[in-house]
Amino acid sequence: MRHVPTVAWRELRSLFVSPVAYGVMSLFAVLTGLFFILYVSAFVEWVARLTQFQEMERLAATNVNDDLVAPFYQMLDTVLLILVPGITMGLFTAEKQNGTQELLLTSPLTIWDVVLGKFAAAAAFVALLVAMVAAYPGLLFLYGGAEGGPEIGKTLAGHLGVLLVGWTYVAIGTFASSLTRSQVVSFLMAFVLLLFLQLLPAISDLGVLGGGSALGETLRWVATGVHFQPMLGGLVDTQDLVYFAVIIGSFLLLTKASVESVRWR
Amino acid sequence: MIEATNLSKRYGDVVAVDRVSFRIERGEVVGFLGPNGAGKTTTMRMLTGFLPPTDGTAAILGHDIFEEPREARRAVGYLPETPPLYPEMTVTSYVDYAARIHDVPRSERKGKVDRALERCGLADVSRRVIGTLSKGYRQRVGLAQAIVHDPPVLILDEPTVGLDPLQIVEIRGLIADLAGGDGDARHTVILSTHILPEVEAICRRVVMINEGRKTIDAPLAELTAGGKRLEELFAQQAASDAASAAAAKASE
Repeated sequence: MRHVPTVAWRELRSLFVSPVAYGVMSLFAVLTGLFFILYVSAFVEWVARLTQFQEMERLAATNVNDDLVAPFYQMLDTVLLILVPGITMGLFTAEKQNGTQELLLTSPLTIWDVVLGKFAAAAAFVALLVAMVAAYPGLLFLYGGAEGGPEIGKTLAGHLGVLLVGWTYVAIGTFASSLTRSQVVSFLMAFVLLLFLQLLPAISDLGVLGGGSALGETLRWVATGVHFQPMLGGLVDTQDLVYFAVIIGSFLLLTKASVESVRWR
Repeated sequence: MIEATNLSKRYGDVVAVDRVSFRIERGEVVGFLGPNGAGKTTTMRMLTGFLPPTDGTAAILGHDIFEEPREARRAVGYLPETPPLYPEMTVTSYVDYAARIHDVPRSERKGKVDRALERCGLADVSRRVIGTLSKGYRQRVGLAQAIVHDPPVLILDEPTVGLDPLQIVEIRGLIADLAGGDGDARHTVILSTHILPEVEAICRRVVMINEGRKTIDAPLAELTAGGKRLEELFAQQAASDAASAAAAKASE
């Protein structure tokens, strides 16, 4: 596995000479920027209205973390759902189109070198995107100070949550790209898988599954949102960290099996 | 050096390669001959460990290709039918990457990359992006990738296909150089082709396969003794196969 950085570094360099990286970064900056403005103005309006009607109790219960940063981070989940498949769609499909798959699989590289290298490259890129997002709570802190700004601990927990959600999506996107030769198909498969993951809590509540049944509970456990939510509230639970590790690990294992199977077809 | 024992590959009912065995010694340059679809590429893919054989084994320098894949693969330089290139990389960074993934130690890397570029006549285009190169140059980049880690064994799958006559002459010259070096620089080469003059120009031994089976394995000098031409042999072979196939059909 000592060649993981070799593969990751090449992948990152290729990502940054293609328009994909810049396109995704620009789109991400524009989308998050627009949403941030919307969320801030909605928050300001909400506080102004509470003040106007002298709703002191509700005003006291309102704070920047729970009513501005958390919903904003929650929304990032959806932005990642759309952008991550774009980042991962070329990981394995490009190797198949270039014929470089034959180079990788006849070199002394192990399949784990290739799978982890590619995952690491895309994960690093997502980490860069998530780091960009820190500017927004940073602005709130700058203007609100220690009094009116967001709590640092809670914000960091939410930030970690966004990063882990992003990495989970990367693992799923990596798997999707190992299944096909076409970037479009890879994108769509990743997108559908991620959408399904987001809809799981709603599905698990369906009457047919008898909400609270073993199956329903299992489906709930698999849903990313269920483990992301507590982190937005500032709660970093080991159980939730284990969840992210398990999902990422499983999809990387699936990816390895899928890459290996190319030989047996 | 290279040993194939009863290598076979079946896809369902279709037999692509049928119990092919051969042994190639150090420094030999072997032309791997056969019409299109004879099973040349499949055999080479099995030798390089890209495809697992349905039956049989292959070993490079005594390392079984699946038991000790790392050792076996390190000893092989492989140029597939389509050169495996990343169009967005520059020539140097690509060859450097090939050196890295073939476990070339860091201290020797720069020297080996420069040498491979020079041997393949790529020094002038080393900073160009691969996607902008002509087909002939791309083939050279593919070859540079195959030789950068100084592998004792070179496996080249139709290295001159799709090139213009001038490029063909150049690439052949390059392969002849690689095969003719002294000491460590001398490679054992298997070269697949269906172009007969290529074999006559470079190879000293011929292994011919047809419909997945090995039909001829002899030194080139022996085959062309008495002024016989390789073309005649090739045609004869194909004709006898057709005849035996017809006979088999008739007896059914």
